[in-house]
Amino acid sequence: MPDNWTFVAAAYGLAAVVFGGYWRWLARKERDLAALRLPRPSRP
Amino acid sequence: MSTALGWLAAVGLAAGLVMGFGVAPREVTQGNVQRIMYLHVPAVWVAYLAFAVGVAGSIAYLAGRRPGADRLAHAACEVGTVFLGVNIATGAIWGKPTWGTWWTWDARLTSVAVVFVMFVAYLLLRQAIEDRERAARYAAVLSIVAALNIPLVHFSVYWWRTLHQPPSLLKPGSSTMPPEIVAALLVNFAALALLGAYFVTRRARLLAAEEEALA
Amino acid sequence: MAWKDLLVERRSKETLNALLFFSLALLFVFQFALGPDRERLAAVLPGLLWLGFILSGVLGLGRSFLVERENDCWEGLLLTPGDKSAIYLGKLAGSLALMLVVEALVLALFVLFFNVDLGPALPGLALVIVLGTLGVAAVGTLFAAMTAQVRARELLFPVLLLPVLVPVLLGTVQVTEALLLRESLAGVAHWLKLLVAADVVYLTIGLLTFDVILEG
Repeated sequence: MPDNWTFVAAAYGLAAVVFGGYWRWLARKERDLAALRLPRPSRP
Repeated sequence: MSTALGWLAAVGLAAGLVMGFGVAPREVTQGNVQRIMYLHVPAVWVAYLAFAVGVAGSIAYLAGRRPGADRLAHAACEVGTVFLGVNIATGAIWGKPTWGTWWTWDARLTSVAVVFVMFVAYLLLRQAIEDRERAARYAAVLSIVAALNIPLVHFSVYWWRTLHQPPSLLKPGSSTMPPEIVAALLVNFAALALLGAYFVTRRARLLAAEEEALA
Repeated sequence: MAWKDLLVERRSKETLNALLFFSLALLFVFQFALGPDRERLAAVLPGLLWLGFILSGVLGLGRSFLVERENDCWEGLLLTPGDKSAIYLGKLAGSLALMLVVEALVLALFVLFFNVDLGPALPGLALVIVLGTLGVAAVGTLFAAMTAQVRARELLFPVLLLPVLVPVLLGTVQVTEALLLRESLAGVAHWLKLLVAADVVYLTIGLLTFDVILEG
């Protein structure tokens, strides 16, 4: 049977996208929350 | 704590890749596409481990009503669902070249899909209830129902796919695997478990911060 | 509680009629979707029957707490003294009775429209229908209470209930199929045991956790 490396790449790539995406989602929510807590900077 | 876990996970993932692509041998019948297994199988183990933690947290919450237990339950069930989703998707990607189809209603795939939908429903329920305390209570009950339902799902789906006689064992035992494959599986399991633990702790911390912000 | 619901039901008959006509409509849809091939229909008949039962069950159960919601009596439920599980059993009994009536009538319609010969299968069918419906109602009543106060309850309730009911659906269809094919129940004994186990699990959880749901 051929090796089907494209499928291997697709599988690991998908996992990377999903886990990476979740990681970035967590980071973004944390940043948003931190921004809420800081006093609003005055706009120039 | 989560940063330490994060770095450990990163190391583990690197080790896992080395094991999965370097140490583990090329499979005889399927070829190298079989290496997807080192991602696919540990993912479902971590998912079920996460669900177990989640349900334990739910029971702890119902018993003691400590918000920390609920946050753990929520985070663990969410992370478990993510890992299960990865398991299902990688399974489909693995199945296409090897079985010729993206999906088949075989016992394992079907029961995992049902469990996945149950826990997606858990997340939807949590989202739909605004009152935090009520959401925690209801979600805890739902996760317990889902957890107790898992064996029922597994048995019913397995019997459904094996037509006539009911099996005498839980599942047919797997044949002995060469040690390199076992080792690669275990290392990847450890790596994904660390990743899962990292996500759970970070998610739980985020939930705590969200609660504080809303207070 | 069950008596109250049955009384309410008898006076309005709203839900019963609606469910019956829903099932009738489903029957037509099944016939048209599957075409005139008699043998194909016969092969999927057990599945269709239970599909009809479960879909109408989901509709009916989704309305379990409608009375309390519409009349602002939810707080009344919360403030009921004593063991809230009595409310659970009452609602469950009410829903169960309603569903069994609908199912009996739907079964009769199936026999009529699809020319099914029940004969010796009837007692077995009655058993599996009771076992299956009990499971559906047991979880359904619990989930109905959980989703009663949620805005998107019409969507969330079936999403919650249907995946959980997969084992019940599988079991009941297998047993029904065996019965309609005149096979002995011994061959499907494991399915019957699974249904009983499921019923026990769902009832127990319902009884133990209903108090928690009705805390607020």
